[in-house]
Amino acid sequence: MTTTVTTTVTTTVTAPAAPGRRRSPLLTLGMLAFLVYFLLPLFWLLVAATKTTGDLFSSFGLWFADDFALAGNIGDVFAAEDGVYGRWLLNTALYAVVSAGGAALLCALGGYGFAKFGFRGNRALFGLVLGAIMVPSTALAIPTYLIFAQVGLVNTPWAIILPSLVNPFGLYLMRVYAEDAVPDDILEAARIDGAGELRIFWQVVMRLLAPGFVTVLLFTLVATWNNYFLPLIMLSNPSLYPVTVGLANWAGQATVAGGSGDVIPLVVTGSLLSIIPLVVAFLLLQRYWQSGLAAGGVKQ
Amino acid sequence: MTSTRTAPRRQAAGHLFIAPFMIVFVAMLVVPLAYAGYLSLFREQLIGGTTFVGLDNYVRALTDERLLGGVLRVAEFFLLQVPLMLLLGLLFALALDSGMLWLSRFIRLGIFVPYAVPSVVAALMWGYLYGPEFGPIAQLAGTLGLPAPDLLGGDLMLGSLANIVTWEFAGYNMIILYAALRAVPAELYEAAAVDGAGAWRTAWSVKLPALRPALLMALIFSVIGSFQLFNEPQLMQRLAPSVIDSAYTPNLYAYSLAFTSQDLNYAAAVSFLLGLVIVAVSYTVQLALTRRRT
Amino acid sequence: MTMTRTRWLAAAAAATLFLAGCSGGGGARQAADQPPAAAVSQADIDQAMRTPTELTFWTWVPDIGKEVALFEKKYPAIKVNVVNAGQGEPQYTKLRTALKAGSGAPDVVQIEFQYIPTFTIIDSLLDLRPYGAEALKDKFVDWTWGQVTGKNGEVWAIPQDTGPMGMLYRKDIFDKHGIEPPRTWDEFAAAARKLHAADPGVYLTNLASNQNGAWMGLLWQAGGKPFQMASAQDIDVSVNDEVSKKLGTYWGGLVKEGVIATDPDFTDQWYQALNKGKYATWLTAAWGPVFLASNAKETSGKWRAAPLPQWAAGENKSGNWGGSTSAVIKSTKNPIAAAKFAEFLNTDPESTKMMATEQFLFPPTKALLDDPSFAEQKPEFYGGQTVNQVFAGISDTVDKGFGWPPFLDQTVSDWDETVGKSLADKSDTPAALDQWQQRITTYAESQGFKVAQ
Repeated sequence: MTTTVTTTVTTTVTAPAAPGRRRSPLLTLGMLAFLVYFLLPLFWLLVAATKTTGDLFSSFGLWFADDFALAGNIGDVFAAEDGVYGRWLLNTALYAVVSAGGAALLCALGGYGFAKFGFRGNRALFGLVLGAIMVPSTALAIPTYLIFAQVGLVNTPWAIILPSLVNPFGLYLMRVYAEDAVPDDILEAARIDGAGELRIFWQVVMRLLAPGFVTVLLFTLVATWNNYFLPLIMLSNPSLYPVTVGLANWAGQATVAGGSGDVIPLVVTGSLLSIIPLVVAFLLLQRYWQSGLAAGGVKQ
Repeated sequence: MTSTRTAPRRQAAGHLFIAPFMIVFVAMLVVPLAYAGYLSLFREQLIGGTTFVGLDNYVRALTDERLLGGVLRVAEFFLLQVPLMLLLGLLFALALDSGMLWLSRFIRLGIFVPYAVPSVVAALMWGYLYGPEFGPIAQLAGTLGLPAPDLLGGDLMLGSLANIVTWEFAGYNMIILYAALRAVPAELYEAAAVDGAGAWRTAWSVKLPALRPALLMALIFSVIGSFQLFNEPQLMQRLAPSVIDSAYTPNLYAYSLAFTSQDLNYAAAVSFLLGLVIVAVSYTVQLALTRRRT
Repeated sequence: MTMTRTRWLAAAAAATLFLAGCSGGGGARQAADQPPAAAVSQADIDQAMRTPTELTFWTWVPDIGKEVALFEKKYPAIKVNVVNAGQGEPQYTKLRTALKAGSGAPDVVQIEFQYIPTFTIIDSLLDLRPYGAEALKDKFVDWTWGQVTGKNGEVWAIPQDTGPMGMLYRKDIFDKHGIEPPRTWDEFAAAARKLHAADPGVYLTNLASNQNGAWMGLLWQAGGKPFQMASAQDIDVSVNDEVSKKLGTYWGGLVKEGVIATDPDFTDQWYQALNKGKYATWLTAAWGPVFLASNAKETSGKWRAAPLPQWAAGENKSGNWGGSTSAVIKSTKNPIAAAKFAEFLNTDPESTKMMATEQFLFPPTKALLDDPSFAEQKPEFYGGQTVNQVFAGISDTVDKGFGWPPFLDQTVSDWDETVGKSLADKSDTPAALDQWQQRITTYAESQGFKVAQ
């Protein structure tokens, strides 16, 4: 697969001595211009979350209105329908964390297995998994639903968690990562010392795989957090909804007879609040990347 | 490269390591897929119930103009959006890696953040920004005395969708490529420095070749993402129902067949064919790019 | 860890078994014409209402818990779990998948009038006649009862709220341009031209290009009979007949002239347009006035309500857009309690009044429409006009005989892509009606129906 020179990826920050360590104002300005583009919609969301229903429909979208209603809107979001929004956030966190942790572990085990053990059927099985990445997700949702209904898993947290545990892309990533980051001679040395395979995995390999593990964890976390279609089909009990389905439900209510557009500030503010936990997770997990992926710009 | 020595005990250990993943994989992916395949061999009618029809659904799909139109549209989307997105991701990754940025950590996070935004929310935000009369883009154009572009019209819709997807995933690709750059062995840089290569030369002759596998991977995933395009057009449908019809993308078509037309069996067949198209395109891309590397 | 692994194994094994033993999931069973089941005796009903029971009720009416509490107070043995499983289409999607899987369906469900045939064709609703539903007929406005009853007199659901159509108009804009509220469609067209010529930034109305519901309501008013079922397998589709073409020519013409707007409704743009006075009227249903009042606060006091313009001077006809019913799912284990719950919710004086005054659902019961405390409300938003009274009057003018197809999702989606598209693109709307007819016919035949045109 890859012919790159395998090197030991250590957990210390080994910064390659890249040439040209002068800071460039021009390049920085260019990147900041791009940053404006990437943050503009989020700025709109932030502004919109501070508006009353009336102002949402009558004031200029990219600037604040006279009424600053953010606190009121946040209060409304958490008060609506007996505080169901808080439940949605908790559900989402539960599904995302359990799925991401489980998926990353399965990928680490599997990726290491595929990378470092030339067992029979290795290539064929791996090819099968890679092929599965190509399966349109919508094709799976309905048959999965029908099967889950037979075994009584519909409308339970398992209906969301189990399908999210499979991450073929994560397996691929871990395999590539394990190939480079786990040197064969370390394994051989451990085996000669008489360590069992599982012990080697937990004590030696996992440490080497940590950055890759965190990466898969993060990607699965995002994927599950943002999953909309699967829970939409699987869950009918609103107290089990993740935040995406809940928000879409609220957005739908803006069109119901006797309903009201007063729901729209809820949707906007709820959307804003739903993004915050992930951004915080990114910030917290950045530390871990730094160990393996070394923070950009911190170069000696 | 995997070692080719395979002691029986090592074999067993390998199986042990992949077993958890493979069990869940079979239960959650292979079994539902097999079931979908089984369903695609039947026809179920509101009047007349279920009958076995063999490959009829596939025959019908291959001559279905709406499906073909959708496949061509996502192919166009792929050609339009993917190069742009990967180029941006690559530029950002190289800029971050060059060490020449102020605020690099802040910039990196800022560009990556859209990836954390659920597509439900992304479509809501961009849909508002695109608004043909009262949307900020239209209003800005109005202030400058320009005609407001009809971003939700038939001509520009594909570009507008491409923009949303690029916004969501450019940062994600940046991180993948950036991670690959961080893994470039220091010796290579040292060798380049000894040869007296400047920053640009190093980027061109050391960094880019090192990024090859990561770029290939990003490209394959973009193929899959493009051909499976679903969330964004589905969420934008309400804003421009006459532009985004139920067969706008193949995945949207499969969804509408299953849920609007109650034709689960045909939807399964369409999904299968779409999977085949994706496999074929991915394989072609891979072949084209790995030809010269043996 | 091992625990969950066995669980996965079990799930995989169960799935495999299921694949081997199952023949394509529960298909659509045809509703055969059965004689009505024997009536349930009052003793059985009393017995059932005293037995501890749990019901699940899917609805998207906000805060309906209050009305449910009234029922639970009267029948303490019965507990009702209220579930908001989505509004409209998402809920129907869930309901259908649950029905297909044979588990997870509710006992009682909110269904819009137009979707009833879509669920009776797959034999999923319970005929409520044995539970005394026929006796309720006189409580409801005539046309609503026609909407919930089947060909052989089955009662499929109990009406919950309605949407007879009228016209909300901006009195200030009309006054400014010297326009009288149009009483006929001819006057309406003339007003549209006059207004747009006077002020290019304003349109007399917006006929949303994504709103099949409003189109069907206008067709209903014009006397259209687009879908009629001769039997369970025979359907008459005529969405391009003379009446439909009249409608298509009229609206298509105004759209081509550019004097009315065709923006998609219930979007940000549309809300803003309402607030900023882009549309001088909204042709809407009886649930519209309250909706507008909470969504276009900027324009308070400027709106008034009137009946729809008529096709012939002096006529007095309307159609319906929206409104819902409570239906009982056939698979319920507690049919008596479920049927009585649907009945109580929509006929109990206290419950119906609460729905009209707290959730602002427009009532289908004669008693409430005549109730002064409902009809004589004078909302400030409409300059103190008794809007409810206007719509109560309109409710009596809705024709009884309008029917819906047994595959509504498909006809709506096809409309969006033919007729709706022609409105958005300002292309030939009458020709689009022919395409619509063609697509529905093709679909119906592929589903095994015999189609008469």
